Amino acid sequence: VFSKIIRRTHMYLALFLTPWILMYALSTMAMNHREWLRGGSGETLPQFEKEREEPYQASFAPDARPQAIGEKILEDARLVGAFNARKDSSGAVVIVRQDPVTPRRITYSPAESKLVIEKEVFRWPAFLERMHRRRGYQHAALDDSWAFSVDLVIAAMIFWVLSGLWMWWELRATWRLGALFAAGGLALFALFLFTI
Amino acid sequence: MRFNLFVRRLHLYLALSLIPWFLIYGVSSIPFAHNSWIDRFYQDGKPTWNLRFEKPYDLEIPEGADLREIGARIKQDVGLEGSFGAYRPNPSELIVYVHTFWTASHARYFPDKKLLRVEDRRFRWDHFLTGMHARGGFQDRRPLNLAWSIVVDLVCIGFLLWIASGIYMWWQLPQTRIWGFLALGSGATLFALFLVGL
Repeated sequence: VFSKIIRRTHMYLALFLTPWILMYALSTMAMNHREWLRGGSGETLPQFEKEREEPYQASFAPDARPQAIGEKILEDARLVGAFNARKDSSGAVVIVRQDPVTPRRITYSPAESKLVIEKEVFRWPAFLERMHRRRGYQHAALDDSWAFSVDLVIAAMIFWVLSGLWMWWELRATWRLGALFAAGGLALFALFLFTI
Repeated sequence: MRFNLFVRRLHLYLALSLIPWFLIYGVSSIPFAHNSWIDRFYQDGKPTWNLRFEKPYDLEIPEGADLREIGARIKQDVGLEGSFGAYRPNPSELIVYVHTFWTASHARYFPDKKLLRVEDRRFRWDHFLTGMHARGGFQDRRPLNLAWSIVVDLVCIGFLLWIASGIYMWWQLPQTRIWGFLALGSGATLFALFLVGL
């Protein structure tokens, strides 16, 4: 019974987390070949294209933090979600709304009382990298749910190793070859660990 | 039957070969996902960077110079060993960071003051793990570094093969199809929801 529970948990957990594992595999490859992929497009920084421009009247305290200003602007622009904000040298507030598919850059110029909303031109490697790097609890329900799913993937990876070893141990016919593969992998890993 | 056995053995032996990578990617994701929590264990007042030496140094950095080339020269001049990168956080400073799995140092060159400062980072297990997790790319052409990056690709291919072979093995167990569909479908739906909603 215990063996069956281990096997089924190993399998159902893997089926449930298939999209995450697929994303992490593809994004790792994209990051491993980042230079080559960037070379192909000739771009090193994300490219933005203007989506819209609109007048924006607001009065913020002179010492208001960019994060607080950003929160209000995103609310008014109906773009609520995870973001970073900073003030640039001209006094404009630049907000980057971290959407996994379409990140946006919103620039608020107090002098001109306007918002410029730009969206990042979609590129597969950048999309995959954003998904890979997204983590951490941010006290917003959906963001925290994502962070929890990342924790679940971590726990699952450790569980798959342990349950995989258990299942291997139950297949006596595979002990010898399995030990060879495991030892080979371990030896190669140790070589890297102490040389590079 | 033969193909079935081949798929099962591929799934198993591939996993056994890549266990160290699989485990390290899993465990090292903890300090990435919970860095502020891990950071608390190292709030002991000890500095992160310790000065190894500081000395006068003069190296011209031409406009538009390849920073990696400049970094290689500085690295060689101060005798630092490991993979490296170079960047310029501001016009008056060039930083060359050099790391192995166990150590990390950086050389900070201040062209205006003609001064070079080399500092070593204190060892922390979370840095060790995240350093290993993030290591990759083909910029460092030394054989073992290239081999590591090739293995990173192989691990990714391993992930894809586990998915494919795992789904195949699940399909061979008709009694698990309903629950399997539910697990696969709910995972895919939740993931799609995150894509749209985040």
